[in-house]
Amino acid sequence: MRKTVRLSWTSLWLFSTCFAWLTSLSLAADLPPTDAPIEQVIDQFVNARLMTEKITPAPQADDHNLLRRLSLDLAGRIPTTAEAQAFAASTSPTKRVELVDRLLASPDFPLHQRNELDQLLLAHKPNDGEFRKYLLWATQQNRPWDAMFRDMLVGIETDENQKGALTFVKSRARELDDLTNDTASLFFGVNVSCAKCHDHPLATDWKQDHFYGMTAFFSRTYLTKKNLLAEKQVGEVKFSTKKDGQKQAAFLFLTGATISEPTVERTKEQLKEFDEVVKKQTQDDNASPPEKPGFSPREKLVEVALRAEDNRFFARNCVNRIWAQFFSRGIVDPVDQMHSANAPSHPELLDWLTRDLVAHGYDMKRLIRGIVLSQTYSRSSEWTAGELPSAALYAVAKVKPLTPRQYALSLFIAAINPTQWLAADQPDKWTQRREQLENEANGWANMFEVPGEGFQVAVDEALLFTNNKRIEDEFLRDSGDRLVGYLKTLSDDSAMIDAAFWSVNSRSPRDDERAALKEYLQKHAADRVVALRQIVWALLASPELRVSY
Amino acid sequence: MTTSDPTKLKMTKEIGLPSIAFCVARVPNSGRLIFGSSDFKLHEIDVLAEKPQPVAFNGEGHQSYVTGVVLCTPNIAVSGSYDGKLIWWDIEKREPIRTVSAHELWIRRLAVSPDGKTIASVADDMQCKLWNAETGELLRQFSDHKPITPHDFPSMLFAVTFSPDGKFVATGDKIGHVAIWETNSGTKVATVDAPTLYTWDPRQRRHSIGGIRSLAFSPDSKLLAVGGTGQIGNIDHLEASARTEIFDWQAGQRVKEIVNEKFKGLVEHHVFDPAGQWLVSSGGDNGGFVAFHNVETGKTLHQDKAPMHVHQFALNEAYDTLFAVGHHKIAVFEFKPETPKPAEATPAPAAS
Amino acid sequence: MTPGSFFCGSADHGVSRRGFLSAAALGTAGTFAADMTQLDVWRHSAWAEDVKKKDKRVILLWLAGGASQFETWDPKPGRPTGGPFRAIQTASSGVQISELMPKMAARMQTTAIVRSLNTKNGDHGGGSSLMETGRRKDPGIEYPDLGALCAKELGRIDSAVPDYVSLYSSTEGRRKGTSGFLGARYAPMFLSENMVPENVRRLETISDIDHQDRAALRDLLAKRFAQNRTSDVIGSHSNAYQRVRGLMASEKLFDITQETEAMRAKYGPTQFGQQCLIARRLVEAGVPFVKVARAWWDSHGQNFETHRELCADLDHSMSALLDDLKERGLLEHTLVLTFGEFGRTPQINPSLGRDHFAAAWSASLSGCGMHGGACYGKTEPDGHTVAEGEASAGDLFATILAALGIDPLKEYTLGARPIPLSDFGSKPIKEVLA
Repeated sequence: MRKTVRLSWTSLWLFSTCFAWLTSLSLAADLPPTDAPIEQVIDQFVNARLMTEKITPAPQADDHNLLRRLSLDLAGRIPTTAEAQAFAASTSPTKRVELVDRLLASPDFPLHQRNELDQLLLAHKPNDGEFRKYLLWATQQNRPWDAMFRDMLVGIETDENQKGALTFVKSRARELDDLTNDTASLFFGVNVSCAKCHDHPLATDWKQDHFYGMTAFFSRTYLTKKNLLAEKQVGEVKFSTKKDGQKQAAFLFLTGATISEPTVERTKEQLKEFDEVVKKQTQDDNASPPEKPGFSPREKLVEVALRAEDNRFFARNCVNRIWAQFFSRGIVDPVDQMHSANAPSHPELLDWLTRDLVAHGYDMKRLIRGIVLSQTYSRSSEWTAGELPSAALYAVAKVKPLTPRQYALSLFIAAINPTQWLAADQPDKWTQRREQLENEANGWANMFEVPGEGFQVAVDEALLFTNNKRIEDEFLRDSGDRLVGYLKTLSDDSAMIDAAFWSVNSRSPRDDERAALKEYLQKHAADRVVALRQIVWALLASPELRVSY
Repeated sequence: MTTSDPTKLKMTKEIGLPSIAFCVARVPNSGRLIFGSSDFKLHEIDVLAEKPQPVAFNGEGHQSYVTGVVLCTPNIAVSGSYDGKLIWWDIEKREPIRTVSAHELWIRRLAVSPDGKTIASVADDMQCKLWNAETGELLRQFSDHKPITPHDFPSMLFAVTFSPDGKFVATGDKIGHVAIWETNSGTKVATVDAPTLYTWDPRQRRHSIGGIRSLAFSPDSKLLAVGGTGQIGNIDHLEASARTEIFDWQAGQRVKEIVNEKFKGLVEHHVFDPAGQWLVSSGGDNGGFVAFHNVETGKTLHQDKAPMHVHQFALNEAYDTLFAVGHHKIAVFEFKPETPKPAEATPAPAAS
Repeated sequence: MTPGSFFCGSADHGVSRRGFLSAAALGTAGTFAADMTQLDVWRHSAWAEDVKKKDKRVILLWLAGGASQFETWDPKPGRPTGGPFRAIQTASSGVQISELMPKMAARMQTTAIVRSLNTKNGDHGGGSSLMETGRRKDPGIEYPDLGALCAKELGRIDSAVPDYVSLYSSTEGRRKGTSGFLGARYAPMFLSENMVPENVRRLETISDIDHQDRAALRDLLAKRFAQNRTSDVIGSHSNAYQRVRGLMASEKLFDITQETEAMRAKYGPTQFGQQCLIARRLVEAGVPFVKVARAWWDSHGQNFETHRELCADLDHSMSALLDDLKERGLLEHTLVLTFGEFGRTPQINPSLGRDHFAAAWSASLSGCGMHGGACYGKTEPDGHTVAEGEASAGDLFATILAALGIDPLKEYTLGARPIPLSDFGSKPIKEVLA
């Protein structure tokens, strides 16, 4: 069966420009040594650029801010009061490293990283159980990114751990455009749909072949009636060009590498038989599992994308997307626009990190550890020195909206009686408690918008917090297991206000905040529990809990 | 007694039509059918001819779908249409004789009394009107059918039939309400309800489907078969089982509920056999069917698919041949016993 | 990892950022505006236009599932495909519509018809998306729908009333609508179960004074936190909470018992009629875009009976709405639209149904900016194809925007990528514009 793919010609210039940039790229010989700590290299390049631009970055965030940011970024939640106070009290000179290592080793990290990857890779099909199960398994193993890529594109259906990974392809198998575009964007940092409106003169070296070449790797993929992933034995992508008329697409990767399919002569009968097989597979519930074709284009794509001479798209994209996870922007930004017209903010840094990632077997956790230990990461989000410098300079930390899951988990943690953490916060019990919290937060997570480009908090969310009974019942009740229930046992206003702030904001109140809350209590002295409830509401509904800062 | 054997049902002829045939009347003792169709015309066709060809009637005719046709004498036919008009025709000349503006809204069905003297018409103005078949004079009109459904939409009056003794007329509407009237006085004598035949979807699609599409009295006039379709899940489609409910209408009791296990869609037409042993029903969804049911047990005796959605049929005098008209087709079915006996002369008219 | 941003070029010129910044500056009074000196929305020429256009409104009567053009705006009586219903003369000479729409026929002077839509997508999901956004899906770009576009172009950023209300009470084909890259500020207030918006009523467990006091306390904490932090997210959070009290006050707009018995009787007893009355109350109060979805027209079986019911509902409710708008002097500012995801096939299937059909179908546009009584485009005698004046979804959108005084060629910028308000290559249909 032949599939003709229709895509606008304007989508194509991108390939040519990527091609030109990435082939001309050479890893500079004067990069910092391979064994330098990641965090040092990051700071070296970022600070160098700040120096050039004559900008003094914001100071380092204080302890409570750093702890909160690290907890949200590595554990997917705010710290508990116990964690926050312990960190504040610690005098260990290496307390930051200890904290990072503890969080990375905690059961929180894989749960959170699973959520992040799920949102990234399967945003159009939220909460697919099989896929989430796979991702959790993978993040718990710290499975390397190249292995995960292989699992997701050509995983084995019969492998208990890998079968969920194939959801990546399965959920897009009916839309060749989406499968092509999402794979190119998510794994190679190249968005093929953009460019419709650029009036760039087309580069002389662009080839339609590149674009359709990418599509060719997926054009034989299909889903059977039993929802198994299969590939046809034959099938080609044809497209028409102005110059040469109709052409057949080669299996051509972004780097220009081509895969040639072994020539096999097929009789008409064989071709007819292939069609019959596909027909049976797509229509018959009782068809036996599909056979693997002699030549699998998807397998070839994985092979070429990962081999040393062609892995630069794959490796850079991994670095860039992990970077963006922590800094809200990529070294190449937007993250799916890796091409010559969109230069990296710190090219040598990207090169060094890419080399490092490949050298260490696509160990994402290692890269993450390096990023969060950098000074670049731990700057304050407050800027008082006039005009805000470009975000590409990393002079000041960016305020990020919490993801729905982060927010829901944080609301629960903020609203729980803080004295209950002391008993629960033991490694063996925590795993269970954390999973329980994850499940509790699930229902709430659905009520919040997933942040994307130019995210805005919807008025629906403000209305929900303001007038929904579930907010009151879940987070503001005065039973013993809740913050309000605990606060009402404290007769001293200052102690009460402190406890509320530590619970929700992981810090002590500032003087003006303390004064405002005291005044509120005095004004509403008639019913202390009611007043406490309003105070906790005001804290929960404040932007401070809504964002990572 | 008739000579028929429903278990021997087989289709013997299938004739394609360019239009949708909604109604049919048969010229006694012949294969000549007069049918009304979606091309706004009345046609005649002799299905027993070697190469049957429909011939359209002449004259101005109707301005919309022709949905009812009856023969009141062997050569006078009356047709009714969504244009609200009744037209009397000389079927030999195929010329109109008389046109009467009969209803405000769409005429859905016609019926003729067994003596051929009275014609009943029902329409979406929710009126049943009785007409002098000879003069075209309006004899009386009556209605027990609300113009608006309980859900505030326009209702429809789909079905009408006479009892075999001619004493009663039954009318059935969209929401499953049936009224039985004395022909001579127009007095309402009974009502029965078959609400299952009407599906209102208050949540998913917020409109309705179904309604009573066929009515038939038993030979002794005591039973009334009410046909349509059952409760539908997805009302975008006719996806419920074809359904007939049989009432002892004088007692106001439903005595049988016949849910077709094999075929879905509407029961568009019903006829009891003269002995009152079986009831034949026909209709369909995107396909069609002909089904025979035992009146005593309610069980299906025999059934088969029809090559099209059937809108109406006529039976021959021996009750062993069925002439069905419907979606772009006419089909002839026979259900004669193995050893054919000489046809008994059952008096005309065939129930239709 | 961060979900992909799909726009090329510098985010500093991104539309959503610009959109928000105006939100922050206007919505939160002095405090924020001071921090956002580089974002002077008043200097932005488009904003001045917005102020001028602020009295324009749109009511979209969304005929979900796909209404038949034959039984509404493009009858073909006597043709094999025409069905049983007659065509009737309307108040616009030479224009006939189905006899199922007698009340609209009498009001044709208010309404223009486009009979020549060829939108090429006969699938509910794809067709809906196309007719909601006026363009085909583009992998990687979330386009805003018409409601969000109008909310942005016609609404006030600090509006005390909602600026995009979507009512969809039937469950079949229910779609919430999307503000796409314009962001959550322009997301619809979506009413599906109850005809009163969720969470606009103060809980009985809290007094009004406490409700206000705690909001003031929250604002104080929020402002303290926002000091020295320039952030779209914080700004939008603040804007959202600023609008809460206004939206709570708009609850009464959804309460039709505030209307006289006589007025309610005019709109009739059906839910659609009542929702049309809500729509009028909303536009009267300044809501720029209201969508009332009437589901479900998907008449694969019994097309004629289905349209007999639904057209009666549409004909009556739409007529009552147009009359009421006219009497209040609102019709010249309010554009009332009817269309859905597609029309229905000329072929009549054996269940006497009509199936999905996007190759030649109709939409109606009444009121604001329209040349009432105009009828644009023609289908061939049996309605299988467009014979004259073929129009795309983009053309229809360009026409709608033009009728509202919005330049369809105006562009949003996503990164370096310009996105015109109506799709590339689309043109307003001048013949139906006033």
